[in-house]
Amino acid sequence: MATKYLFTNLLGSFVFDEQFKVVDSIKFSSFDEYNDSNKRQQTEQKLTSVHNPKFTTQQLLEKPNSKILQQILPYFKSKDNFSNFYSQNMALTASLIKQAVNEDDFIIQAINNIEEIDKVANTLSKRLREWYELYNPEFSRSIESHEMFVELILSKTKQELLKEIKHDENLLGADIKKQDLEPMLNLGRSIHELYSLKQKHTEYLENLMDTYCKNVKAIAGALIGAKLLEHAKSLKHLAALPSSTIQILGAEKALFRHIKTGARSPKYGVLISHPFVSRAKQKDRGKIARALANKLALAAKVDYYKGEFIGDKLRAEIDKKFS
Amino acid sequence: MQTTKFPGIFESQVGRKRILLTKNFVKGKKVYDEYLHTEGPIEYREWNASKSKLCAAILKNINQIGIKPGDIVLYLGASSGTTPSHVSDIVGSEGFVFGLDFAPRVVRDLVFLAKDRKNLAPILADANKPETYADRISTVDVVYMDIAQKNQTEIFLKNCNLFLKPDGYALLAIKARSIDVTKRPSIIFEEVRRLLEREMKLIDYKTLDPFQLDHMMFICKKK
Ligand SMILES: C[S@@+](CC[C@H](N)C(=O)[O-])C[C@H]1O[C@@H](n2cnc3c(N)ncnc32)[C@H](O)[C@@H]1O
Repeated sequence: MATKYLFTNLLGSFVFDEQFKVVDSIKFSSFDEYNDSNKRQQTEQKLTSVHNPKFTTQQLLEKPNSKILQQILPYFKSKDNFSNFYSQNMALTASLIKQAVNEDDFIIQAINNIEEIDKVANTLSKRLREWYELYNPEFSRSIESHEMFVELILSKTKQELLKEIKHDENLLGADIKKQDLEPMLNLGRSIHELYSLKQKHTEYLENLMDTYCKNVKAIAGALIGAKLLEHAKSLKHLAALPSSTIQILGAEKALFRHIKTGARSPKYGVLISHPFVSRAKQKDRGKIARALANKLALAAKVDYYKGEFIGDKLRAEIDKKFS
Repeated sequence: MQTTKFPGIFESQVGRKRILLTKNFVKGKKVYDEYLHTEGPIEYREWNASKSKLCAAILKNINQIGIKPGDIVLYLGASSGTTPSHVSDIVGSEGFVFGLDFAPRVVRDLVFLAKDRKNLAPILADANKPETYADRISTVDVVYMDIAQKNQTEIFLKNCNLFLKPDGYALLAIKARSIDVTKRPSIIFEEVRRLLEREMKLIDYKTLDPFQLDHMMFICKKK
C-alpha cells in the first residue's frame, strides 16, 4: 500500500498521498474540535480507518524529518484559509495567554506595586511636610520617618505634639484656621491609607513567597526574593541562573558599562538591600553578596523543583558566617 | 503623498525630513503614538523609524524588502505589534500576517490589535521550536525576524527552512549587543553574514544608525 500522511492542524485533519496531494480531509468548524483532544482523536480515527495512513505527522515531527512538513504546508497557503487561520489562532492564543498566568506574575505585580506605593507615599509625604510646616515646623523637623509623622499628626493636637518633643514653644508655626488645617489632615489620611495598603500587599507577598519559593524567602526575605524573581522574570529562570549572575541581578547597567568600558565590575545588585550586605563594611560586601548568591542559587532550584524545605539550614549557614 | 519603489509604502517630505507612511488598514485607529495623515479618502499612518527597524532599513536605502501587497508573512518577534501593524497595512486585505512572540504580556497587546486587524493572527510560541507551531500556520512568502536572541541566526534559518517558499524573501534584524556584548558589532555582523550565506542568497544589508545603534538588517532569498 502506498504511503499516506495524516496531518492535523488548526483548520482540520488532512490525509496527504505520496505526492503530497490532499486525498481526504475533515475540516474543523470550531476551536473546540481542535482543542479537545478526545474530539480531535475521533476525527483522526475516522480518517485513519478509511485511509490507514502509514505516518501521522505527529510521529514525523519528533524525528528531525521536517522534509515532509515542508511538502505539506504549502497546501494551506491559500486565501480561503486565512479567515479560519485568523479565528482559530485568536481562540488558541487567547486560551494560551489565559493559562500562562501564574504565581510569577502575581509576585512580580505585587513587588512592583509595593515599590510604587513607597514612591507615591514618599512624594506625598514631602508635600504634606512642606504644607504642615507652615503650622508646626518644629514637630515635623523632629521626626524622620514619614509614616510615623503622618500617624502622629493625625492622632494628636499641636500642643500634644510639641509636648512630646519637649518643645513648649512654637516659634515658627503660624496660627491657622481650622478650615486651613483640615485639607492637610485629609492628605495625611490618604497617605496613611497608602501605608496600610502597602502593609496588606506585603503580607500577601509574604504568603505567596511562602507557598511558591519558601527557600529563597528564607535566605533573602520576601521583598528581596521577589525582586530577584522579578529581574529573572520567573522562578524557572531564576533557578537556571548561575550564582554569579544572581549576585549581580539588578546591576545590569553597571555590568554592561564594565564590559563596554572596563569600568569596575559590579559586586552586587538587588542584594545590596539585604541587611548582611548593607550593614557590612564596603570591602566585605562583595564577598557577602557572593555567599548569599551561592545559597540562593541552590534555594531557587529546590523551590522550582518543589524539593524539601532546606531554607532554614542554608540560612543558618550564612547566619553563622556573617551575623 | 508619494509612492516609493516599494508597493504599499508611501513617503512625504516634512521640512527636511523624509518620512514613510502606510495606508491605515483600520481607518481612524492608531496603533502606537503615530500621526495619522489624511489625503482625500485615504488615511495614512506615519511610520516611526526609531521604533521600527524595517522603517529604518528602508530609510537607509535597503534595495529590497520583499514584503508587498498580497503577501503572506511570518513575523517572528512581533512584540506588541508596532512594526507588524505596518506590515499588516502593506500586505492589505489580500495578504496575511502570522505574528508570533513568546512573551504572553506582549501577545496580549497583539490580540487586542488583531481584533480589528483581521489580516493579522497572533501566535504565542517560541520561535526556537518551529515544530510546535507548524500546525498553526501555512507556508509563507516572507519570513521577518526580530527576536534579539543569542542564537537568532540559527533560529531564523530553521524557520526559513520549514516555512518559507522557494525563492521567498527573508529579513533578519540583528542587534549586536544581544549576540555578544564583548565583541565589536562589525565582527558580529560579519559572522551572521557568513552563517546566512551558507544557506541563503544574500540580497542586501544595511546598518540602522542613526535610528538604531549597532543594528543591522539583512535581506536574503531562499535558494
Ligand atoms: C525587539 S522586540 C521586537 C520588536 C518588533 N519587531 C517591532 O519592531 O515592533 C523582540 C521580541 O522578540 C521576542 N522574542 C525573543 N525571543 C523569542 C523567541 N525565542 N520566540 C519568540 N519571540 C521571542 C521578545 O518577547 C520581544 O517581544
